[in-house]
Amino acid sequence: MITIIQITLKGIFRDRVFQGIMALAVLFLFIPSAASLSMRQVTELSITLSLSLISFILLLLAVFLGSTSLWKDMERRYTFSVLSLPVSRTSYLLGRFFGLALFLLMTSALLGTVAGLVIKVASGIYPPGRPIVWSYLLLAVIFATLKYILLVAAAMLLSTVSTSFFLPVFGTICTFLASGITQQVYEFVHSPASANTISPFLKTVATGVYYILPNLSGFDLKVNAIYSIPPSGYGLGLTLFYFISYTAMLLGGAALLFARREMK
Amino acid sequence: MLALDIQNLGKIFKGKKRQIVDALQGVSLTVPEGEVFGFLGPNGAGKSTTIKCLMGLIRPTTGSANIMGVAAGTEASKRHVGYLPENPAFYDYLSAEEYLSFVGRTFQMQESLLQRRREEALKLLELWDARKRPIRGYSKGMVQRVGLAQVLIHDPSVYILDEPMSGLDPIGRALVKEIILDLKKRGKCVFFSTHITDDVEKVCDRVGILLHGQLKLVERVDTIMTQGIVGYQIRIRNSDGKSVDHQVTKDMLDGFIAGQVASGNEVVLVEPRRKNLEDLFLALVHNGAGSSS
Repeated sequence: MITIIQITLKGIFRDRVFQGIMALAVLFLFIPSAASLSMRQVTELSITLSLSLISFILLLLAVFLGSTSLWKDMERRYTFSVLSLPVSRTSYLLGRFFGLALFLLMTSALLGTVAGLVIKVASGIYPPGRPIVWSYLLLAVIFATLKYILLVAAAMLLSTVSTSFFLPVFGTICTFLASGITQQVYEFVHSPASANTISPFLKTVATGVYYILPNLSGFDLKVNAIYSIPPSGYGLGLTLFYFISYTAMLLGGAALLFARREMK
Repeated sequence: MLALDIQNLGKIFKGKKRQIVDALQGVSLTVPEGEVFGFLGPNGAGKSTTIKCLMGLIRPTTGSANIMGVAAGTEASKRHVGYLPENPAFYDYLSAEEYLSFVGRTFQMQESLLQRRREEALKLLELWDARKRPIRGYSKGMVQRVGLAQVLIHDPSVYILDEPMSGLDPIGRALVKEIILDLKKRGKCVFFSTHITDDVEKVCDRVGILLHGQLKLVERVDTIMTQGIVGYQIRIRNSDGKSVDHQVTKDMLDGFIAGQVASGNEVVLVEPRRKNLEDLFLALVHNGAGSSS
């Protein structure tokens, strides 16, 4: 599996799509000046923009690399040569996943460092109302990365059943969009306000979808980082447990489906 | 030990609109170690399907196969095999050198051995000068050579090559034949598919002919060549010193020669006319086409 991880990383670093997406990181340079336009809360806005930019870059990488990694190997017939080596399909799939996950971690470490410098500069010029707690900022970046690693697992699951590029890419985008609002939808359909407006059938469907789709709202620690609010240790533990178990389920499903897939 | 043991292998593909393609039907075949086996058949006969079943790329509908006594398609069986896919494609962002290192590492080769074998393979296949360039810049023939190099690098017991000569120029083809003969000398089993009979005649011990997913014939190539005498070309020099060629059937040979000698003519040349592998192959294909239509 280690060899597959190495090959995956090499492939990403030599990929033009990756280089194009990473060029977006240049936008960090403009954050202090863009934040200064707000006149107040410049540091808070710098943190918001930095975390949002990290999130956006990681989203693009997760969607495009996660969705195309397996698909490209099958489309370009690389799987014929790789899967005939003494590598099990599960090792290959996990190697690809961990390669991408490691890459997202490396990217977020790099972007997080740049963001830290940008925020440091902004806070030096415009001291914030509340002191910056760097560990909260670090937690926000780490949990954002975990969120996109989970999204990569979802993209890989979709890749194992698809013969085209569309299902993995658009399926992952839809999963991401839906996963950000499932919590609100769930809370709404179970609220007293919805009792007369939502049919029991729709309520059951919404509840089912809530349990099937990933719930990514718990990974968002932006508010904690921006306003230096201590995050709940229990909540973090629960989110971490959710990340591990949900990712494991996605990868388990992907491994089962990929093992059955025929390389015609 | 049997290098390959295929028993009653069958594969049905289910397509869209419930279309069913019976790609492989009850193929049984054994290939011992040290033998070069040519798997001959026209396009669409099921050669690649058989090979993909052996490599675990597709699951057979019926039957089973073993490679060196281990169930085909498993990690353990793949350790014994060097496989060259048809029209191979390799991670094109890697160089030939990097790709061979990747292959060697999946076989858990020691780094020093890997380096030595990598150099040997690259030099043998004339890729040494291009070894650091990404594969995406290679010609089709060069990619095919990378495929052959990755097959050789871990020195397996069994070589499964799907159309190994495809995309190669005459020099490359000659080189591949040389490599196959060398592997044979070293006691390796080479199982290769082709639709070019000449390749089989030159390097194979045995040939199997696959038609419409059915194995129609398995025979020693030398038997086909010796049993395939259909007649003789006889050159006669008459009393005027003129030479004339005659085509004589196998049964009439003795009587014809006796008659010529009795007439005072000199028999200058007797050359057997063989039905070669291509004739046999074409006859089988035409009979098969006739019976299937």
